[in-house]
Amino acid sequence: MFFHIVLERNMQLHPRHFGRELREKLVSKLMKDVEGTCSGRHGFVVAITGIEDIGKGIIRDGTGFVTFPVKYLCVVFRPFKGEILEATVTMVNKMGFFAEAGPVQIFVSNHVKIQKDSEVRLKIIGTRVNATEIFCIGTIKDDFLGVISDPAGS
Amino acid sequence: MSGEEEENAAELKIGDEFLKAKCLMNCEVSLILDHKLEQLQAMSDDPSNQVSQVFEKSLQYVKRFSRYKNPDAVRQVRELLSRHQLAEFELCVLGNLCPETVEEAIAMVPSIKSRGRGHDDEAIEKMLNDMSLIKKFE
Repeated sequence: MFFHIVLERNMQLHPRHFGRELREKLVSKLMKDVEGTCSGRHGFVVAITGIEDIGKGIIRDGTGFVTFPVKYLCVVFRPFKGEILEATVTMVNKMGFFAEAGPVQIFVSNHVKIQKDSEVRLKIIGTRVNATEIFCIGTIKDDFLGVISDPAGS
Repeated sequence: MSGEEEENAAELKIGDEFLKAKCLMNCEVSLILDHKLEQLQAMSDDPSNQVSQVFEKSLQYVKRFSRYKNPDAVRQVRELLSRHQLAEFELCVLGNLCPETVEEAIAMVPSIKSRGRGHDDEAIEKMLNDMSLIKKFE
């Protein structure tokens, strides 16, 4: 599911950027740093849509770098166990198939004849999270789940 | 990790942080990302190297799986669903999947029945009908 949430991050900025464009520099660095990343807790950060607040900077001892706490509004994609969603089949093999729902990959095992590029409705039954990725296991064996449309049929 | 273990969207156990957060339907995400892409294109000549893979994949996904395309219809659907005392998460699952029957709606959002909010079958059916009407007149 996609969410619109406020996240916070401490941004370090080199003193050479201090000046009129400090805010712009901070925002563009924030976008570069966090857009496209993934954390187990908040999921994939798809896009930053606004800056809520930039706090007072604190000078770090010894380096001259300044740390600003920045609160920003962003669109994240976070899959949940038990969630039902639609996805596109990207690969089929002997064990099952892989489907994609936005940035996340979902593996579904043990299928009956499914084609690449089909659209399926599936339920997430497990998630595996590491530092930079979320991977899901899904099923299509339940009421109202399964293939919605396949490329040959349409 | 103990919180991770108990997670279950079918019972609306998605953690306090996400439960209170604003959920987005695919069609809403599509509008937001399109807007952002336009902004980026206006700012630079070569937007392709600015957007992340996550952005690109998400945009492709929401374009493919948006039930409502017209911004007015998107707003109407959210308005309609928000009248029914649904949690944000439930609202968006319904908006994304557009179930056609009461039975299907309950299978998609099992928590709708379990929280005692007076969602009888009739009320759900009315809601689903209204949703399909918006789609029809989009």
